Amino acid sequence: MREYFRYFKWIYVILAVLAAAVAALNLWHWGIAKAANYKRTNQECTLDERVFDYGDVLTDQQEEKLRKLIARREKQTGCDIVLVTLNESLKAYAREMEPGVPYDQFVRVYAEQFWEENRLGYDEPDGDGVILVDNWFREDDGSIYTWFCTTGKAKDAYSAVQINHILDNVYRHVESDPYRAYKTYVNDFYHDMMGINMFSVYVPRYIPWLIGMVSAVIFIFCNWRSKKGKKTTTAVTYVAGGKPEFRVRQDRFIRKTVTQRKIERSSSGGGGSSGGGGGGGGGHHGGGGHSR
Amino acid sequence: MLFKCKNCGGNVVYEPNKGVMCCPHCEGRDSEERIDNSSMTQCVNCGAPIEVKDYTSACRCEHCGSYLILNERVEGVYEPHLILPFCVCKEAAIGSLEWEFSNRLFTPSDFMSAKSLEKMEGIYVPFWLYDYQADYDYAGEGIKVRRWTSGDTEYTETSYYEVLRKMEVDFDRIPVDASYAMDDSIMDLMEPYDYRSLKDFEPKYMSGFYGEIYNQSAPELEGRAQVKARTSSQEMMQATFGGYDRMRPFRNDLNLSRNGIHYALMPVWQYLYHYKGQTYQYHVNGQTGKVIGKTPVSKAKVFSYAASVLAAVTAAGYMLVWALEIL
Repeated sequence: MREYFRYFKWIYVILAVLAAAVAALNLWHWGIAKAANYKRTNQECTLDERVFDYGDVLTDQQEEKLRKLIARREKQTGCDIVLVTLNESLKAYAREMEPGVPYDQFVRVYAEQFWEENRLGYDEPDGDGVILVDNWFREDDGSIYTWFCTTGKAKDAYSAVQINHILDNVYRHVESDPYRAYKTYVNDFYHDMMGINMFSVYVPRYIPWLIGMVSAVIFIFCNWRSKKGKKTTTAVTYVAGGKPEFRVRQDRFIRKTVTQRKIERSSSGGGGSSGGGGGGGGGHHGGGGHSR
Repeated sequence: MLFKCKNCGGNVVYEPNKGVMCCPHCEGRDSEERIDNSSMTQCVNCGAPIEVKDYTSACRCEHCGSYLILNERVEGVYEPHLILPFCVCKEAAIGSLEWEFSNRLFTPSDFMSAKSLEKMEGIYVPFWLYDYQADYDYAGEGIKVRRWTSGDTEYTETSYYEVLRKMEVDFDRIPVDASYAMDDSIMDLMEPYDYRSLKDFEPKYMSGFYGEIYNQSAPELEGRAQVKARTSSQEMMQATFGGYDRMRPFRNDLNLSRNGIHYALMPVWQYLYHYKGQTYQYHVNGQTGKVIGKTPVSKAKVFSYAASVLAAVTAAGYMLVWALEIL
């Protein structure tokens, strides 16, 4: 045991320092969140409701809890946070608004229209905020679509990677526990907005595990020294003078050939991914969608 | 043969640290007196019977503890030409073993006790040393390939060279152990020895150690020496083809001619350790202190250490990810 602690002493020290740094960072983050208290300045939007459960996937209690959570998070982030669930085809509606719009964009059209028609935005009409539209209706193409729409400072804060991340987190629970999924949406948005956004890199959850496992394998490999011993002789160990004598050492150029091959370049333009976080249609909206 | 102290009558032994004959009883230096005896069955000191195996040339009397050298096994056809006296004493050899094991992380914690290390024995192992002149004649085609891309076209330039080599190598004393008791692969790993310390054979260097005569003759073992010489020659030749991507040989002739054979005794510390029903053999080069030997692996240690690394790296990873998300 003593040997073990002696060997891992520095690793534990580093871990403790790292834990302390992360704890301090959290404390600082918590302090900022606590101090943040934005005042809503949008006078034109009279909509007080933030949870529109048209799809009827939440209980009244769950809706109430989400309303309270959103009210708190809005003050902390300075953004309107809206949730809409649907259970109807948006094909006719979306195609009327934007002829020829593809299936995966129906929810985008709806989200942007909803935002603009209701003059949503924390600072001004059509201003800062986000809306998540989750349509539980299976469209003709067999998919259910969700759209996360960002506007104003939320649009500036979110990269495509982060949009995918938040939608991934929503989709992790949405089928089994919609309330948990939508709560995740509100909380993740809050965390994303409260960060400094110094790094907009999304690291998948399995990566630390993977690195840990690879490190453990490398560790075993490097320390598995049960072998007899290492060879410490070289080719010249028993050569008098330490090197051979060359009576002839000649390299003469004879000829050269050059062949050429045309490189086949594949044409670009792959099909769109249903899980991608593509930009929104409107000039001042951002966002992305997922399907299931 | 026995080396007896002129001052106190004790058994004088060769002291590797000091490089002189020392009496461990009265600490006298170079006070030895050689007592010859032709008997192969009796101790020259106490007259007790001694057990001599087929190839033993030096042993220890179990009754009086004297180190004996068998006259007829170090004379005539068995007289070694050269001897490399021990430079590493027993304490240093034990230190080398302990240091090596402390660096083997997965060796069980209860492996090897300091008490049992006292049983380590110094042995002079018989070696044949072969001198060769190698003449290597090589002719072939060296091929260099260079690729680059310009626009939509990939170009491949292949250059051909005539490669000629005539190499002479003077191999000086390639060692091959001549003991059945010693595993060839272990003795090969024990190399190299520093030949500058080789001395003309004198029996006194064997006092204090065990020893063997050669178990096989020089012609019988020459094949191993030739393989070593050929492999080394090929490696040296190969090293001259560094700039080429491929070689196509037309002529690849290597001739070895033997210039000399020497019979030598090399110093090795040997230690046998019994652990959980298995015997582990360790050898320490008596000149350089190099340790050869396999150690058992503790599965519990592998599991606990690897699990700790996994947990620590994963925890650190999550903490960093968490910090990045906050930032």
